[in-house]
Amino acid sequence: MNFSDILASTLHDTKNSLGILFNNLEDIIATCKEQKCPSHIEFYKLQYEIKRLNSSLIRLLSLYKADKSQLAINIDYHSISEFLDDVTTQHEILLDSRGIEMETQCDEELFWAFDRNLLTGVFDNVINNSFRYAKQKVRLSAFKENGYLVLRIEDDGVGYPSSMVFNERQHPDFKKETSFATGSTGLGIYFSLMVASQHKNREKCGFISIINGGKYGGGVFSIFLP
Amino acid sequence: MQRDFPFRNYFLFLFKYFTILYNDKLMRFSLKKAETKNDISLKSKKVLVIEDFFNFRLTMKNMLRSFGVLYIDDATDGEEAIHKMTIRRFDVVLCDYNLGQGKSGQQVLEEARYRNYINYSTVFIMVTAENTLEMIMGAAEHQPDDYLMKPFAKEVLEKKIRSLIQKKENFKEIDKAIAENSYALAINLCDDLIAKSPRNLSELLKLKGELLLKIGNYQEAYDFYEKVLLMGNVGWAELGRGKADLMLGNYLQAKVIFEGILAKNDKIMAAYDYLAQTLAKLEKHKEAQQVLMKATNISPRAIMRQKALGNLAYRNDDFSVAENSFKKAVEHGKYSCMRSPSDYTSLAKTLVHLDASEESLDVLNVALKEFPDSDEAKLHVSVTESYVYKKMNREEDARKAMAEANTIAESIAGGIPPEVELELAKTYIMMGEEEKGTKIIKRIVQCNYDREETIDIVKTVFKEVGREDNGQQFIDRAKDEIIALNNEGVALTQEGRIEEAIDYFEKAALHVPENKIINANAAQVLMLYMKEYGVNEEKIAKTKMYLDMVKKIDDHYKDLPMLQAMYNELVPG
Repeated sequence: MNFSDILASTLHDTKNSLGILFNNLEDIIATCKEQKCPSHIEFYKLQYEIKRLNSSLIRLLSLYKADKSQLAINIDYHSISEFLDDVTTQHEILLDSRGIEMETQCDEELFWAFDRNLLTGVFDNVINNSFRYAKQKVRLSAFKENGYLVLRIEDDGVGYPSSMVFNERQHPDFKKETSFATGSTGLGIYFSLMVASQHKNREKCGFISIINGGKYGGGVFSIFLP
Repeated sequence: MQRDFPFRNYFLFLFKYFTILYNDKLMRFSLKKAETKNDISLKSKKVLVIEDFFNFRLTMKNMLRSFGVLYIDDATDGEEAIHKMTIRRFDVVLCDYNLGQGKSGQQVLEEARYRNYINYSTVFIMVTAENTLEMIMGAAEHQPDDYLMKPFAKEVLEKKIRSLIQKKENFKEIDKAIAENSYALAINLCDDLIAKSPRNLSELLKLKGELLLKIGNYQEAYDFYEKVLLMGNVGWAELGRGKADLMLGNYLQAKVIFEGILAKNDKIMAAYDYLAQTLAKLEKHKEAQQVLMKATNISPRAIMRQKALGNLAYRNDDFSVAENSFKKAVEHGKYSCMRSPSDYTSLAKTLVHLDASEESLDVLNVALKEFPDSDEAKLHVSVTESYVYKKMNREEDARKAMAEANTIAESIAGGIPPEVELELAKTYIMMGEEEKGTKIIKRIVQCNYDREETIDIVKTVFKEVGREDNGQQFIDRAKDEIIALNNEGVALTQEGRIEEAIDYFEKAALHVPENKIINANAAQVLMLYMKEYGVNEEKIAKTKMYLDMVKKIDDHYKDLPMLQAMYNELVPG
């Protein structure tokens, strides 16, 4: 057994433990709510951390597989509004516990071909980040632009540090800098870059952009899919 | 269990001190909940939870109860789950992938679909503790509606169930059409829905493609998939286009497509199967074997693939690979609805080639015990037994087994699958009863000359009795004979000698009772006669008999709708 096998199986094992932990906590929160106990709000914070751990592990596993060229891509044609609804359900309770409201804007008739699992991973990372930095609003939106689907997550927080603001189109070498892929947010963006680049259609390839401003003046993360 | 107590004490403590402080936040929550409640009611839905761990089972059931499901049943293993599904039709099935001993969640799904316990409008959610992508392994042909990765919050489960039920609501009519074999109607219903682009557009597109392939409209299927692929490299559409290519005989093109799919994602198991089929069509049997060996390495539990590999390896004289595959098919098939006596007889035949005749006879004995009530299994075993004895030079035993096979075959006349009959024929030839053997083979070729999988088995039979060269010739001659026979009847009809044509086709149908074209033509000339000279009861009865035979042989025969329409015209109501 080589080290990467050990690592992979440990990751799975850890994920399973997290699963049990998460479900137990879920039961506790349910009982707690039933008894009108206010501490479930506190437990949500625990759940948030478990989710963060979980998505870190998924991210790690995916990046490892992409590095070994073992990452399997599974492209299907999805309803974007449904995808955004699913993302919202995944996160709204936790965000709500911090008083952050989620809003979605998307044409009901918008469909696109992409890998849903990978994109869910990207959204989990970015929204987990918003959980920390947003004040009251997280906005998800999707629209077509120049033959790309743009999926956007923006908030009303302080925005990304200037070292992270970039648009891959303008800084094509940016992703090669190793110093970039450090720290949790950095890794998350590294992961998003990987996911974007896995989406190719004919001659076009996906990319991301990170700016500050947007509708609520905070961080604006966008992923462009061909 | 022990850990429960400190936890409980802990939040009881919190409960005492913080209730009043946080009251306003609680209010906000209950308001939010109320908003999502007004879409569909889950009250009338029957839900089955399949999970071997007591704790998870309880958690899931509690979650379901909390959002209003009244009817919840559970099962702790696959056997129990299948049993419950035979008694009751469920609207939603939540199934754990890893069920410990016995059937896996995947096998539960396969069997439920295979036996029509669930249909397109049933919601089947596979619950898994592992990464979703890995679950696709061995499952490409049978995907659940969704995977749910532990951990999940109850809100996520509720949302998923609600949206899947809502999404599948529009499958109900299509399900009905499919259950009645009205595929053309099902395709029309798909088109109507697709035009409205509902949220499950992708599933509808996918189903439409599958239906087109199923009824044999390969060119239309090809064009359809090409159109879908314009929107992006959708995995199932690539696979579907490859399938259409394979069926249209564009083997080189199909090969490129399947190889391309695997280059991008080597876990799309169906692509291995079709690539192997394509390579076999291109007479590259060794390469086909390599492809399936790679696939079974990744996912050893898929028994249909193990069988296909075993057959290929057997054909390639690679008996140790064949042995390994058939053994796996037997082992993993134990709890599967896909198992068949041929898994055992194939293994027995392979073992003979590896000089393990005694083990071979043991395997046949096991087969009899595993399928105690099946005449077909008994026949299959007797024929194989005879083959094994023959190879062991135990002529007397071989003859005895053959005589027994003969008796069983006569008692179940008609309903014997062609592959078992071919085994019978092969053994006749090996025992020196040339005439009996070739007579069976000829009939099978003439009834099934358009079914390539049967013709492939015929070729293998000739190879095994050491006459590979004669085989193709024999098949071609048998085919030509039946085509000439048919053409003569058609010529009579065209010359207007319709009474002679009727007579002719009736005789032909006696000669090759399971040839669908002869049967269809017999029905058609009878109906042409009645159109001209009026309906008569005897001819109507005969027509119906021939049409029923065509339906029995091939439900999707392309001329069947036309013939049926003609019949309905003659016999209104």
